Amino acid sequence: MHYSLRFEWLGMVFDVSTIIAILVSSLVVLLLCVGLTRNLTTAAPRGGQNVMEWIVDFVTGITKSYIEPKKAAHFVTLALTLFLYIFISNQLGLVFNVNTSHHNDPNTGQQMSQTVVDALTLASDDEAKKQKLEKLNEELNATDPHSHGVVIGWWKSPTATPSVTFALAFVVLLYAHYLGMKKSFGGWLKHTFLNPIHILEEFIIKPLTLPLRLFGNIFAGEVLIAFLLSVGIFGSIPLFLWLGYSVFVGSVQAFIFTTLAMVYISQQVNDQH
Amino acid sequence: MLDFGAVSLNLGDLLTQVIVFLVLLLVVRKLAMGPIVGIMEKRRQHIESQISSAEKSRQEAEALLAEQRRVLDEARVEAKAIIDRATKQAADESAKLVADAQAATERMKADASKELAREVEKAKAELRDQMTGLSVLLASKIIEKELDEAAQKATVDKFLAQVGDRL
Repeated sequence: MHYSLRFEWLGMVFDVSTIIAILVSSLVVLLLCVGLTRNLTTAAPRGGQNVMEWIVDFVTGITKSYIEPKKAAHFVTLALTLFLYIFISNQLGLVFNVNTSHHNDPNTGQQMSQTVVDALTLASDDEAKKQKLEKLNEELNATDPHSHGVVIGWWKSPTATPSVTFALAFVVLLYAHYLGMKKSFGGWLKHTFLNPIHILEEFIIKPLTLPLRLFGNIFAGEVLIAFLLSVGIFGSIPLFLWLGYSVFVGSVQAFIFTTLAMVYISQQVNDQH
Repeated sequence: MLDFGAVSLNLGDLLTQVIVFLVLLLVVRKLAMGPIVGIMEKRRQHIESQISSAEKSRQEAEALLAEQRRVLDEARVEAKAIIDRATKQAADESAKLVADAQAATERMKADASKELAREVEKAKAELRDQMTGLSVLLASKIIEKELDEAAQKATVDKFLAQVGDRL
C-alpha cells in the first residue's frame, strides 16, 4: 500500500491525504448543492433545479419511509447531506489517483527530508516507528530499476478510511440518542439500559456495523483497484468491470448508510416502536 | 490512534470529519435546502390553491348555470301566461266586436224599416191629399156644376176613406 503523510497536533494524528479527501468531497457536495439551486422558480423547473428536486424527493422518500410523516421533514437536510457526501466520497476514489514516487538518489545526493520521513513513519510507539523507518529506508534506497521507491498517496475516497466512516456514524448515532433524550429522558433510559440486548445494540453493534459496513465496501473496492492496476495489461478488463461495479456499490452503500441513519433516528423519535 | 498498517483510525481525522460534516450540513441547509424546500413548498401551495380555486370556479359556474336555468324556466312560464292571456283577450275582443256589429246592424235595419214605414205613410197622406184635389177637380169638371167645395170634400173624404182602406 501507499504511504501517506501524517502529522501530530494536540496529541491527535492527522492524515494529510484523508484531510484532502474530506475537504475535496465536501467542496464538491457544496458546489453541487449550490450550483443546482441557482435561479430557482416555482414554475416548471429546468436543468439543475430538476436534478436537485429529484434528489430531494428521493431523500425525502427514504426519510418518510421510516420516520413519522410530520417529523420527517426535519431530517431531510441531514439525510440529503449524508447521502450526497457519502455518494460523492465513494465515487471520488474511482475517478482518478494522485501518487508521487520518491527515491534517494546516491548520484545527486538528493535525500528525502527528515520532516517528510517523520510524517511518513509516524507511529504510536517507538518499536513500530523503528520498523516503519527500516522499511521506508529500504524502499528509498532500493537500487532495483523496477522499484517504484516510496509511493505517497495523496488521493483516495474519504470513505475508504475508518476515521471518516466512524465520524459520520458517530454524528448520526449521537444525534439519534440526543433526539431520544430530548423526547423523553426517562423513556430513553428505559429503552436503552433496561434490556441487555439493547445495551449491546446501542453501544457495540450499531457503532461498529454502521461505519464498518461502509468502510469495508469502499476500502475493499480500492484495494482491488490498486491490485488490478499493479497487474498491468491483464488487469485492464477486470479493472474496467470492477470500476463499473464500484460505482454501483458506492451508490448502494450511500443509500444504505442514509437509510440506516434514518432508521436509527426513527427508533428514537417515533412514538411507537 | 489505531494503526493496522494501511488502515488506521486517527482521532484527528475523525474530529476533522465531524467538524467538516457539521459545517457542510449547516452550509447546505442555508444555501441549498432552505431555498429549494421553500420553493417546492411554495409550488405545492400554488398548485393546491390553483386546484381549490378551479373547484370554486366550477361550483360558481354550476350555481350560475342552475340560476340561469331557473330564470329561463320562469321566463318561459311567464311568456306562456302572457300569450294565453293575449289570445283569450283577442278572442273576447273579436266576439264583442261581432256582437256589437250585429247589434248595430239590427238597429240600423230597424231604423230603416221605421223610416220606410214613415215615408210610406207620408207618401200615402200626400197621395191622398192630391187625390182629393184631383177628385174634386175631376168631379167639378165632370158635373160642371159648382158645388160647395167643403161639402164635396167631406163626401169625397168619406169616399176616399173607403177607397183608402182598400189601397
